Amino acid sequence: MNGVEVLVVGLGVVAVGSALLVATSSHLVHCALWLVVTLGSLAGIYLLLAAEFVAWVQVLIYLGAVVVLLLFALMLTRAPTGPLDDLTGPSRVVGVVVGAATAAVLVTTFALGFGDARIDIGPGDIGSAGAVGATLFGSWVLAFEVLSVVLLAALIGAIVISRRPETPVGER
Amino acid sequence: MPVLLPLVVSSLLFGIGVYIVLARRHAVLVLMGVELMLNAVNLNLVAFDAYWHDVLDSGQVLALYVIAIAAAEIGLGLAIVLLVYRSHRHIDLDQLRELADRDDADYPRDSSGVAS
Amino acid sequence: MTAFAVIVLPIIAAISAVGAAHRWERAAPAFGIGGTAAAWAAAVAVGVQQWGGADPSVVGDGYVDTGGFPISFVLRVDQLSASMLVLATSVALLVQVYSVGYLRGDPRYPSYVAFVCLFTSAMALVVTADDLFVLLVGWEVMGACSYLLIGHHWELEPARAGAVKAFVMTRVGDLGLLVGIFVLGKAAETYRVSGVIEAALAGEIGTGTATTACLLVLCGVVGKSAQFPLHTWLPDAMPGPTPISALIHAATMVAAGVFLVARLLPVFVLSDVALGVLSAVAVVTMLGASLFALAADDLKRVLAWSTVSQLALMFGALSLGTVDGYAAGVLHLLSHGVFKALLFLAAGSVIHAVGTQRLSSMGGLRRAMPWTFATMTVGFAALAGVPPLVGFFSKDAVLAAAVDAAFHGEAGRGWPVLVAALLTTVLTTAYCVRAWLMVFLGARAGQVTGPDAVVVAPVHESPPEMVGPLGVLAALGVLGGVAVLRPTYLGLEPEHLHVGVALTSIVLVGLSAFVVVAEWSRSQRCEPAEVLGPFRTVLAREASYDTLLDHAVVRPTWRLSRLTAVVESDVVEPYPRGADTGAGWASRLLRWFHDGDVQRYVTVIVLGAVSVAVVVGMVRP
Repeated sequence: MNGVEVLVVGLGVVAVGSALLVATSSHLVHCALWLVVTLGSLAGIYLLLAAEFVAWVQVLIYLGAVVVLLLFALMLTRAPTGPLDDLTGPSRVVGVVVGAATAAVLVTTFALGFGDARIDIGPGDIGSAGAVGATLFGSWVLAFEVLSVVLLAALIGAIVISRRPETPVGER
Repeated sequence: MPVLLPLVVSSLLFGIGVYIVLARRHAVLVLMGVELMLNAVNLNLVAFDAYWHDVLDSGQVLALYVIAIAAAEIGLGLAIVLLVYRSHRHIDLDQLRELADRDDADYPRDSSGVAS
Repeated sequence: MTAFAVIVLPIIAAISAVGAAHRWERAAPAFGIGGTAAAWAAAVAVGVQQWGGADPSVVGDGYVDTGGFPISFVLRVDQLSASMLVLATSVALLVQVYSVGYLRGDPRYPSYVAFVCLFTSAMALVVTADDLFVLLVGWEVMGACSYLLIGHHWELEPARAGAVKAFVMTRVGDLGLLVGIFVLGKAAETYRVSGVIEAALAGEIGTGTATTACLLVLCGVVGKSAQFPLHTWLPDAMPGPTPISALIHAATMVAAGVFLVARLLPVFVLSDVALGVLSAVAVVTMLGASLFALAADDLKRVLAWSTVSQLALMFGALSLGTVDGYAAGVLHLLSHGVFKALLFLAAGSVIHAVGTQRLSSMGGLRRAMPWTFATMTVGFAALAGVPPLVGFFSKDAVLAAAVDAAFHGEAGRGWPVLVAALLTTVLTTAYCVRAWLMVFLGARAGQVTGPDAVVVAPVHESPPEMVGPLGVLAALGVLGGVAVLRPTYLGLEPEHLHVGVALTSIVLVGLSAFVVVAEWSRSQRCEPAEVLGPFRTVLAREASYDTLLDHAVVRPTWRLSRLTAVVESDVVEPYPRGADTGAGWASRLLRWFHDGDVQRYVTVIVLGAVSVAVVVGMVRP
């Protein structure tokens, strides 16, 4: 077990643990903050897996934008900051069963398929921005452009959906 | 390292995400569960990219795409949550039953004409 | 090729007549007469060729594959076809000319002309077709034209009823004809008429098959030619315009049945049963119809029953199965066409002038309508069989053939036909003389007032376009008698006149006429049929045959149709409705699961996906 493996295991434990806390916490805002921890440890794992660019994008977008959006949403919907006992509904048993089943199936599949496989990361691979960018704008440029259209559509959609119907359109 | 390590983490995170989506009652929490699932998938993609040493870096690129689309999705999702909050004054999923297949007469409507 | 022209020219004329009628007032008569005249010329050309001894000509060689035996579009003209073509086109031409006067001012004249032309084409097709199905097409088109033309004055209820009755009754018979064609085709392995006849002559058709086929064909023939038991439609078709009665219901369409039997006689000869049935039908019909004619009060009805009776006489001759019988039957067909058309057209002239069809309202028209009187006398005389008119010779030929068969051959059929024919001669003369006396002689019947009002204005002779054709036909009746002494144009050499038969028939005619005239004088020149006494009412009601049909066939059919409607709405309908209700219940049951809990929906989806993954994983490790 070299150092990289130890670090991966450690970060993995942190990620799963904080995810469990997201699932069980009774404070809404605490859930959001534990989500931050999970996403952060995932970024760390990406670094260890020679995906440097992805890790920083993860930090930038997820930790920076998505979680902030979630907090904004909590604020705008007047989420109470104190403890709430009804955050988990009566379908918790079913949820546990289904979640456990899903996880079990996935683990079994991976174990059966890749049980003996090993990742060997060479000393030079770090998945730098330059390298990823080259393939992104080389082989994946069409999808990249489509993605920008998708983002535009989402932007417009979000504005349209959340607009307040204050005055009738014709009177403007 | 054995490739199973990140894969197991990813599976566990996915399962927890499923639990959150199915069991939590607040709409924003459900969205958090969805984010968790998407991240589990990202971890999976990056791990396999490292394993296969893909020439096209497809695992990492797809992970980037997932991140971008997840961002777009959460923007729209939260816009919808806000809309629901505006019309119902709460976002408790257990009480939002409008997708039910009922005749109109079965729906009690509050004073502003909104069915619950 | 000329034969083809006979069929096509009238169709072109029909379309032109209807198409141009709006722009040119005289389009209808012009195209009608012109087209039919052209067809007549072509028919005469064909006739001259065939009577001169040419071989039967075959036109066309197209065919349609049907998976079984092909249907050929071939025309075959022999002497029989040529004779029929000339007869049909001649009468059609005369009728077209006559109609100019008879239907003057009728707003539906263009369509009338078109249908008459179409009918002429169809008749030409029937007599020249060499394929049984093509013949059937012509047969049915004739039936359709008959329906349309009987109902020409469709605002009158008797016209509508008569048209429908004619159509339905002939159609009922045509079902048998259709099946008969299939049987014949199967037996002869071809649908070509010439092929069927060859097969019959070569002995390739068994007796049983021949019997079945002939009996089935007889169904159609009995319907089309108004023989017993489908005889009642012809008198009820009289509300149609009189020229139509002359063309369709005297000279041509009803004669198509006789033509078909004559054509297929080689097949009929193979089956004694079929010939026996035919002669039985003929005997019953010829006697019954002439009795009905004797008692009828309507001039056209007398002539209609007379047609039925004379057709039966032709069938009687054909049913003897001998060469003489064939020649006699066809000869009588041709001569009857001439004088019956004459009688109907003359009757039309009388009715047109007097305004009523009832014999009891007519009388004393001898002086007022001299031309009609003269020509109609010729017609009645020919019908009764007075020498030297053509009717005498043709009836004599029938009697001679019957005598021959009775004494020297088929006694089983010969004797009944002979006796019936002799009796029919007596009765025919009786009703001819009766009608002649009641229409033309004696005093004018008292004016009838009220809704039945007779035209009070003085009666005058009909216009020349109506009298002209009468003259032509009368001349043919006289001259034809002379020509008929040499019937070699039918390709046969029958024996000469049987002197004994001829004398017998003349004596019978004379006696019968004497009795009728005597009775007429005795009954104050009113109604000679009084001699029949109480029997007269039975005959006047035509033995209540229609009422019998109504109770036996029509009413049960109505009841059955009402029953079907009830079954459909009360027994069958609930099943689709039940399916609908059941579907509603099932959907309401499923709706119960859709209560809006989104998380439950997602649970089900995820569980489903996981289960599928597990199953797939276990099945394909």
